[in-house]
Amino acid sequence: MGNIGALAYSTFQETVRDRIFYLVGVFGIIMLASTAILSPLTIGAQNKIMIDVGLAGMAVIGLLVILFVGSGMVRKELDKGTILTILSKPVGRREYLAGKFLGLSLTLAMMLLAMAALFLLMLLLAPGAFSYVYLKAFYMTLLELILINAVVVFFSTAVSPILTAVFSLCAFVVGHMSESIRDFGMMRDNVFEQKFFESIYYLTPNLEVFNVRGAMVHGEPVTWTHLGLATLYGVGWSVLLLLLAGAVFQRKELRG
Amino acid sequence: MTSRSAAMHSAEPFSETNDALRVVDLSKSFRSGFLRRRLRGINGVSFTVPRGSLFALLGHNGAGKTTTISCILDLVHPDRGEVNILGAPHGNRSVRARVGFLPERPYFFEHLSGRELLHFYAKLVGVEPRRRNDQVQRLVDKLGIESYVDRRLSKYSKGMLQRIGIAQALLGDPELLILDEPMSGLDPMGRREIRELLLDLKAQGKTIILSSHIVPDVEALADRVAILREGHLVMSRDLADLQTDSRFEVSFGAGDPATADGADELARLLAACKQDGRRIQRIATAKTSLEDLYLEAHGSRPANQKEAE
Repeated sequence: MGNIGALAYSTFQETVRDRIFYLVGVFGIIMLASTAILSPLTIGAQNKIMIDVGLAGMAVIGLLVILFVGSGMVRKELDKGTILTILSKPVGRREYLAGKFLGLSLTLAMMLLAMAALFLLMLLLAPGAFSYVYLKAFYMTLLELILINAVVVFFSTAVSPILTAVFSLCAFVVGHMSESIRDFGMMRDNVFEQKFFESIYYLTPNLEVFNVRGAMVHGEPVTWTHLGLATLYGVGWSVLLLLLAGAVFQRKELRG
Repeated sequence: MTSRSAAMHSAEPFSETNDALRVVDLSKSFRSGFLRRRLRGINGVSFTVPRGSLFALLGHNGAGKTTTISCILDLVHPDRGEVNILGAPHGNRSVRARVGFLPERPYFFEHLSGRELLHFYAKLVGVEPRRRNDQVQRLVDKLGIESYVDRRLSKYSKGMLQRIGIAQALLGDPELLILDEPMSGLDPMGRREIRELLLDLKAQGKTIILSSHIVPDVEALADRVAILREGHLVMSRDLADLQTDSRFEVSFGAGDPATADGADELARLLAACKQDGRRIQRIATAKTSLEDLYLEAHGSRPANQKEAE
């Protein structure tokens, strides 16, 4: 556990010092733009636009960090030989992956915290917009990002950084459309096609589970039961993907 | 050479108390390219390294030195063979805390300082928190890196990174050090410092395995050398033997000089000269250098021998 903590902390330090937090500034600009430009165009729905753009902006910025930083993380250390010095110490390969995963997850959590603070500050300035209920949305976004981080770690043990980014982006898109894909399959007459589309639904994580933006914007409640089940779903998928990544990485030839 | 090579392939006697490393019949091939063609990395490499000795793996770039080291450290999985480090199989996790490793061209986290990096590795090798500061500072002093150890690693030159790499390998006071090209990228002054450091570590009783393609560095440091060529271990010798393994050059008044390997051959040559009535002008000893051995291992006769023939 100590090794995982040390690896997670060093990964966190590296990513934070890589000026990744500048992206929080980008988020601030998005928020300001949504207030200044979009809100006047949507009379009576200014707050809804701000909330929708803000919550979506957090998820997109988090996704970009994972794709750009996470997809090259393992490969970069392999190419530079850092991984060789780490794994020549009494550190297991699974511990290494877990440390990298947790380090980037910690970075994402900190970024999300900063963006959430900025978001709530903007809501405070808009009359009648502030509510603690958005904390649930932040939490769901974090869960989704952690799951995508696990997807990236899984692919990064097997393929190049570019393919990792492409496959992970595909998993993100399919993950948000998996229910539609299953429903599309149900409409097909061919049984094989039905099974094919159904299998996509079951083989990819359904990321719509974490999407509560619609509910937030329209003021619908997000129950604690939903939050609990989504937590189990996200953690379950993440653990499964990390176990698979560990099995692949265990067999990998680490040539500097 | 064939007989020597065959001798290398048979397992040398291994004593857990006396030998730090035993490698037996180690082979590794890699798949490469779109068609996944099989490329031979190393083939049937065997050697033992006695405790407290400085052992060198010598060979051209691509001879298989790094592959051998990677197999020893379980970073790549050998196709065949056995590796025993400090009395345990090479996959053994606890034994890795007793081994320090410096890879070729070491690079580390760019945004950490040298000191932060050393603390990170100290945690990984299990140095107790209360002893970490002391141990890191001792190594900083020993390697003379105090002036830049708090700078970020992205600002380090190749030589500075090499020193940090050696410092991380020494954390946890390992019994066995495996250094892949430790002198590469260093200026002459830096090379001398590292040479002195390695001799100092050897004097402390550490076992050191280093790989290099620079013959004079190896000759100045090693007790024993193994020469790799195209993935095969073609020669393994104690350097002390080279000192006694003398060659004699016999000059005559006219004509080319003759050479004799060892005292027995010299005696035969002298007897033949006496019989033929040839007048001997001078007998000189010409010691076999590691370079001669290296050239011989790569299929070239030593230059002075060619001249003599």
